[in-house]
Amino acid sequence: MNSTNAQRSLVSDLVGRLEIRMLALAFALGAALSILSPHFLTSNNLLNVLDQSVVVGIVAIGMTFVILIGGIDLSVGSVAGLTGVLLGRGLEHFTIPVAIVLAVLAGMAVGLFSGFLIAHFGLPSFVVTLGVMAIGRSLAYIFSGATAIADLPENFGNIVYTSILGMPAHVLTLLVLYAMAWAYLNFTKGGRTVYAIGSNREAARTAGLNVLAFSILPYVISGGLSAAAITFASAQVMSIDPLAGTGLELDAIAAVVIGGASLYGGRGSIVGTLIGVLIMVMIRNGLNLLNVSPFWQGSAIGAVIITAVLIERLLSSRAFSR
Amino acid sequence: MKAEDSEAAVRPRPDSAPLLIAAGIEKAFDRTRALAGAELEIYPGEVMGLLGANGAGKSTLSKVISGHLTRDAGSITLQDRPLNLRSAREAIGYGITMVMQETSLAPDLSVLENVFLAELGRPGILSYRRLKRRAEEILDRLGQRETLPLDREVRLLSAAQRQLVEIAKALALNSTLIIFDEPTASLSPPEVERLFQVMTTLKQSGHTLVFVSHRLEEVFAITDRVTVMREGRTVAKSLETASLRQAELIRLMVGQEMKEVLPIKPNRPERPSRTPVFEVRNLGSAPVVRDVSFKVHRGEILGLGGLVGAGRSETVEALFGLRPRQRGELYLDGKQYAPRRAADAIRAGIGFVAEDRRVQGIVPDFSVRENLLLGHMAASRKFGLGYSQRRAKLDDLIQKLGLPAERLETSILNFSGGMQQKIIIARWLLLEPSLLILDEPTKGVDIGTRTSIYAMLRQVAGTGVGVIVISSDFEELLSLCERVVVMSDGASIADVPSEMLNEEKLTLFAAPRTSMEQNGAILRDIARDLKGAAFWILVDQERLFCLYTSVINDQADPGFRAGETPMIRDTRIPAALSSRSEALVLERENQLATLLVSVRSDRGHDMGWIGVTLDGRTSLAPAQQLRDRVESFLGRIIKPQ
Repeated sequence: MNSTNAQRSLVSDLVGRLEIRMLALAFALGAALSILSPHFLTSNNLLNVLDQSVVVGIVAIGMTFVILIGGIDLSVGSVAGLTGVLLGRGLEHFTIPVAIVLAVLAGMAVGLFSGFLIAHFGLPSFVVTLGVMAIGRSLAYIFSGATAIADLPENFGNIVYTSILGMPAHVLTLLVLYAMAWAYLNFTKGGRTVYAIGSNREAARTAGLNVLAFSILPYVISGGLSAAAITFASAQVMSIDPLAGTGLELDAIAAVVIGGASLYGGRGSIVGTLIGVLIMVMIRNGLNLLNVSPFWQGSAIGAVIITAVLIERLLSSRAFSR
Repeated sequence: MKAEDSEAAVRPRPDSAPLLIAAGIEKAFDRTRALAGAELEIYPGEVMGLLGANGAGKSTLSKVISGHLTRDAGSITLQDRPLNLRSAREAIGYGITMVMQETSLAPDLSVLENVFLAELGRPGILSYRRLKRRAEEILDRLGQRETLPLDREVRLLSAAQRQLVEIAKALALNSTLIIFDEPTASLSPPEVERLFQVMTTLKQSGHTLVFVSHRLEEVFAITDRVTVMREGRTVAKSLETASLRQAELIRLMVGQEMKEVLPIKPNRPERPSRTPVFEVRNLGSAPVVRDVSFKVHRGEILGLGGLVGAGRSETVEALFGLRPRQRGELYLDGKQYAPRRAADAIRAGIGFVAEDRRVQGIVPDFSVRENLLLGHMAASRKFGLGYSQRRAKLDDLIQKLGLPAERLETSILNFSGGMQQKIIIARWLLLEPSLLILDEPTKGVDIGTRTSIYAMLRQVAGTGVGVIVISSDFEELLSLCERVVVMSDGASIADVPSEMLNEEKLTLFAAPRTSMEQNGAILRDIARDLKGAAFWILVDQERLFCLYTSVINDQADPGFRAGETPMIRDTRIPAALSSRSEALVLERENQLATLLVSVRSDRGHDMGWIGVTLDGRTSLAPAQQLRDRVESFLGRIIKPQ
């Protein structure tokens, strides 16, 4: 509130930008990995990192929306499994684009269901999406007959391996989706409403914002993007498994949290989430390159999550005590 | 019913040794000095009022005395022994307990378990039977066995019941000094009454009580002596409550800035037009708002007065579309208006600054700019932000607020409470509303900013906006508003130009209906007994204020009703009202005979007149006999403080 504070706030503003902090962390990680392994900094491997980022990256966009309003969506993995199976069944009857659109609509419908229960009845998102998680996986088994669907149309794989502007289509889609989410969250009324709800729901309501609609929307987005993600995942392996997407929710939540979002809502950014996704995938990729046992990957990622949250807490408690 | 009854029984004994003396207490949080030389002296068996405005340090001092906070400097002595508490637990050992604003109960445990929470931690076997017997004994002592089911879980209790649990808990710990921190903040008027009964019982059984509050009427009702704090300092120590007047106390609480902050009467703009900008007719919104009607004119600041629990906040929330309405019509600019959501109200041109700035006002993660533009966002139907269309107005506003443009992008949390409040007000001004509603706009705002908020509101009204202000601070209401609509128990009961009011009259109007109901019953008895009409009025020069009427015989109708403030000449009994003589006055025009009896409170305050009007064409008893008759009823009348 005085001049020294103003100076300090300029510095702390820069350090305080969580995207910048996380970007620094991502670069540090990348630098360390490129020193440790000569294979890391090759265009092939970097493309590989992006390829591996697509599925969790797309789901993490929806998760960011949900976490921004102070919720959580545990159902993304099983919604992915369910919509994947529906996509497989759809491909038996419809053209590829129609089947994909139907799968995405199905994912959005599930999101609408959860979101309505949460926003309208005030149920805890943790519990509702936990229930939907169980239902989704069970339906995935039922609709698939508990076996993988492998006889997919041959050109289905094109949605991943077609190259546009020198980039695989799914990576380009990922980047376009992030750009859209970024623009939406920062430059539209709806996006700012999402932030306002997460930051102070009561104030948003009192100021006349449409709290109900924008409390449901994140779950709809999350459901739709889960379906989109599983579409690419299925095309990558040309097979649809009812078990697909298991554990995806944890990776997505981890990416959002590493990206600096607050689980209480209102704080976080889509750019941070993208960096969080890249950090996670880089750690996996790096550990693979260094021939570290895959069993250690969980420990490494867990350590990063806890460290990220700890740093966040230390920085924000300093900000509060000021 | 109130503390006065018991004063004879247990008088504070200033001649005996003080129970507790706190001297020169200092306490700082970070760089904020919450206490800077606070003093308190409590005698055994008294009810000490600890009074002060928001942020005066009352709660901090209470917490220091009860061991919840440790002091930085100063001394506390308990019965002549120095007391150096390190924890609340230790304070309990000395018999000092604090009943907190936000209760410290375990919500999922039963009442019984909470009362004996401290004992649950002791080794050994608990005898629930014995505990239950002890709890019942404690509740009996408080006379509250019916109100508090011992096996009920605490989370199912009302705020008032929880408070009783806290009190019972203090008694279970054998506390002798109990500090009540703003105990009435979340209670309804009847619950306040019950709390006062309990406090009186405690006092009679020899406990010493500290009553922390900023509500004058309550301090007058319950305390023996008063200590006033301001800005962390004790400015008046142990004044006898009975010797005090409200105005003195307010002066002590607010200090020298008083005159500057609250000019006695607002400089009213010359305003020949009385175009109503907003009208409410018979609004009902369950469960609190029953029947509210009023008008706001262009360029006018209208006050909504009343006590906490009268339904003022609920009323304006219903007007703003935040609460469903069951009954009534609203008119904005002469057109019917029926908001279903707050966005409807905003688009229609209404702005609303809610009571709790932190909970309902600011978005903490947003910059000042985005907080300013939140109302715009609600009004906008665009997909994009459309911030640019407000740029010119925004620049203009922040200049008026005295906010440097470069701080527009910084977090709103970097600003003082007062500035935050101004930003929230500006949020609505940005939309150029025709009606602006503010609920307790100066709550928790420092005195300097208060002045500028008043100036801001006057200026806004000056541009033709209708302004509604809710405030529990009657002085603020009277100096800021041109008219005051008084609410009580969910209904608007009076609509009075503020130049005709003072705090005492406003308090009489605002008194909860529960106590007025009893007075009404008495008036009804009188009217019935004498087969005429009975009324309670205040008279101010050519005008009267009617607090209550009861008309049994229509022939004897005096021509005014409760809540009305007619000119004397416009009533049916002008001769009687203007002479106000001891005698029975007969109106020449309509043969109405009126007798007026002056009422005074125990402290000698003028409480107006009780009157009876009879049909003069029937045979009448002599004046003295009538007077005796009326006075025989008046012994029962309840006088709001």
